[in-house]
Amino acid sequence: MWHGAEVVYHGAVTIFPLTSLVWRFCPDAGSFMRRLLASSDFRAGFVEMLPACVALVPFGLVCGVGAAAAGASWLAALGMSAIIFSGAAQVLAGQMLAGGAPLAVIVLTCFVLGLRFLMYSAAMAPYLKALPARWQQALAFLLTDQAFAAAIRRFNAKDDPHGGAQHFLGCGMALYICWQVTNMIGFFAGNLIPASWSLEFAVPLCFLALVAPLLRDAPTIVAAIVAGIAVVALGGLPMKLNLIAAGVIGITAGTMADLARDRWTRR
Amino acid sequence: MDAALKLWAVIFAVGLLNYLSRLSFIAVFARRSMPPLLGRALKYVPAAMLTAMILPMVLTDPVAGNAMNANPKVAAAVIAGVVAFFSRSMLLTMGTGMAALWLLQALG
Repeated sequence: MWHGAEVVYHGAVTIFPLTSLVWRFCPDAGSFMRRLLASSDFRAGFVEMLPACVALVPFGLVCGVGAAAAGASWLAALGMSAIIFSGAAQVLAGQMLAGGAPLAVIVLTCFVLGLRFLMYSAAMAPYLKALPARWQQALAFLLTDQAFAAAIRRFNAKDDPHGGAQHFLGCGMALYICWQVTNMIGFFAGNLIPASWSLEFAVPLCFLALVAPLLRDAPTIVAAIVAGIAVVALGGLPMKLNLIAAGVIGITAGTMADLARDRWTRR
Repeated sequence: MDAALKLWAVIFAVGLLNYLSRLSFIAVFARRSMPPLLGRALKYVPAAMLTAMILPMVLTDPVAGNAMNANPKVAAAVIAGVVAFFSRSMLLTMGTGMAALWLLQALG
């Protein structure tokens, strides 16, 4: 059964307090949005992300379905997509919750997965240095794999930190809106999707789209292969501990291969 | 622990840690540069962690158990991986991967 009326009701109930909160704390939000929409950089970023948004629709739906299957309330499902805002971490947390892992193990594994944001943050930092703290905090919140790739390309192409920041904000907001909407549709209407579509396959496909292009240098290939072998070999570990173990082993192997390559080429 | 409470604890703890990781060098350690060994190790986080998540999802077939030779997901994932490697496009990877899976399932 489709919960169409419920979606509209919950959407309205959620969006109204959120917008009134925005107006309460930032009375100039309206004029800010108007200026943003007038900015060609913001619009360019928003439009540039639309193909990625389309590709993320099945992933978002699966995340919403997964939240519903895990017994989350609609608010908790929205909390996952809106607060965590990382499909990989949401899927990982969902799997580990279903696997009965304790809180500390779940948080630690998701933290290791989220360590890639440290790298993105360091790569992005020089371009955002000139911006006000509010912009830095907002853009950091919207830092995801796809937005990072698009934004860093724009920063490298043009020496224009303010235009680049607006472009980044456009990318981030397109992804954020798409993510909340698809997660909520998946949560309320996921039972309409036939199982024969194998929509859950969208999740490894999204990760493949991120990983496969990285496999161009030896240490990265070593990290991927070692992590892959480790996760299968350690599949017997309880509480999905094989994920964090394989991650740490793969990262270590990649780093050691990198160091060994340096020593080799220096000689 | 109550399941709903545990879920909210996960949401806030993971959300906070993710945000701090995202904010780290942009604001918190803005005046510091990345320690070289850490920078080196972080380069391999996506390859290691995401591969560790991909394999169990592809290798286990909810219908046929763990029969790798009868699992169309493996072939579909290999095709999608090749497309991703050359195109670097999310949309193209998703499109070919799902199309390959549906085709293989229809043939199998």
